[in-house]
Amino acid sequence: MLHLLKIDLKKLLDYRTFWIICGLYFFTLITGAASGMEFLKWLARTIEGFGQNININRIPLYHFPDIWQNLAWGGGLLKMGIGIMTVISITNEYTYRTIRQNIIDGLSREQFLLSKVMTNLVLSALSTVLVFLIAIVTGMIYSPGFDMSYGFTGIGFFAAYFLEVFAFLSFALMLGIFIQRSGLTIILLLNAYLIELIIKENLDDLLPGIIPYFPLESIMNLVPMPFARYAFQEIRDYVSFSSVAIALAWTFLFNFFAYRKLKGSDI
Amino acid sequence: MEAVLSIHQLTKHFGKLCAVNKLELEVNRGQVFGMLGPNGSGKTTTLGMLMGVVNPTSGNFYWFGQQPTHLLRKKIGAVLEHPIFYPYLSGQKNLELMALIKEAPTANIPKVLELVELSSRKDDKYRTYSLGMKQRLAIASALLNDPIVLILDEPTNGLDPMGIAEIREIIRRIATDGKTIILASHLLDEVQKVCSHFAILRRGNMVYSGAVDEVGRGVETVEVTAFHDDLAAILEAFEGGSGVTRENGRFVVKMREGFHSLELNRYLFEKGVVASHLATQKKSLEKQFLEILAEADHAALVKN
Repeated sequence: MLHLLKIDLKKLLDYRTFWIICGLYFFTLITGAASGMEFLKWLARTIEGFGQNININRIPLYHFPDIWQNLAWGGGLLKMGIGIMTVISITNEYTYRTIRQNIIDGLSREQFLLSKVMTNLVLSALSTVLVFLIAIVTGMIYSPGFDMSYGFTGIGFFAAYFLEVFAFLSFALMLGIFIQRSGLTIILLLNAYLIELIIKENLDDLLPGIIPYFPLESIMNLVPMPFARYAFQEIRDYVSFSSVAIALAWTFLFNFFAYRKLKGSDI
Repeated sequence: MEAVLSIHQLTKHFGKLCAVNKLELEVNRGQVFGMLGPNGSGKTTTLGMLMGVVNPTSGNFYWFGQQPTHLLRKKIGAVLEHPIFYPYLSGQKNLELMALIKEAPTANIPKVLELVELSSRKDDKYRTYSLGMKQRLAIASALLNDPIVLILDEPTNGLDPMGIAEIREIIRRIATDGKTIILASHLLDEVQKVCSHFAILRRGNMVYSGAVDEVGRGVETVEVTAFHDDLAAILEAFEGGSGVTRENGRFVVKMREGFHSLELNRYLFEKGVVASHLATQKKSLEKQFLEILAEADHAALVKN
């Protein structure tokens, strides 16, 4: 397994585009986190213009423990950045036809896929670690203090965030294997959520029960949007078992479909 | 002889098109086996099946008498169609990656680079290489794991004459090492120059297979030059000849069955003629190839 990871990383580590995309992605995560406070200030000013007042210090966006879910959710919005890397990594193999040579050279199709899945795991883990570090740093800047007794409440959202990114990367990998062209795959990946949204909205009246089972919906559901709580609404502030189960099932299916496609086709 | 590769009833359909039809073939250890055929005759598809990238429709094949697995492929060096590498990696890095996949010792990399004379450009990115260099890197990569079998598909495609001569020289050097080589080509000359055995494919069917040495057996012609005024008449009178023609200032004697240059030489000597040039010409593979294809075409025509 580690051997397969080494093979795939060797392809990426000397690839300038890989570093540029990863750099941009991590940069976006940092600016995304840093701009949250500025957004609140802007919001306060705008509302003030309407003659109302809000005290942004009453919105503990970056306070422990709120920050865990807030940032895990925000990071989840930006997972597209790393998804593009996965798409490029797999579609390159088709454009350069190196997937063919890899198999001629003695990788089995399973091993080839596994090497990509391993990289997805590593990218998801890196992503999680980075968002976690950003959370700690911004938390220390903005949070008035850290209370051991409840400061870590909701830290489980980072495990959910890891699964969210990995599930999404599995989806991206599968799309890449089916479509094989980078441009088309990226466009579809960008539009996938909207396409799903259209289908969901049209099914909502007929079969409301199946909505949580949609693939991208289930991925987004892992870390639910937390901000409603600042408008005194009830939110789900824990990782629900059913959302994990559904997302895991989809993750498995994405990789399984990719495997079936790879196994059955001439390369 | 030990079979390195045996193919039984191997068939591949692409939709309606039958690319390879019930192919039967055996390649033995130490052979340099040429696969001949016009473009689109199924050579690359066959090699693709042998190397696990094309799924056969039916039939099977065995490498070294065993069911093919990806582990066996690591022991085979193969370049199908064009050289395939990561363009953004240097030649060296590409080979390092390949060594990882093939589980070959990295100590082999300088050796194979030396063999194909690419050592000085090894740190340049692959995309900056000329076509000839790409082909040579491909051969280097195929040799990386010290393979028992080498598969080369049109290795001189698109090269200039010097490049072709270089590649041919490399193939010959490898063949003298006792490696089994399977060479697909539509260049007959190439096959005749380097191969010991060959098969001809036509629209997915194998229409001929045999040893290159056997090509042109039977009818032989001998070229003669000698300083003698009546040479033409003397040659006409030779009982082993069935006709004399003049080509480029030389006489060409068509020989009867059982007669060779030896008999002709003796005959001339007895007549007091000393030949200044005496050469046996065998029918070229090209001629044979065209004949076989014409026969196959004819057979197909009759059948339909």
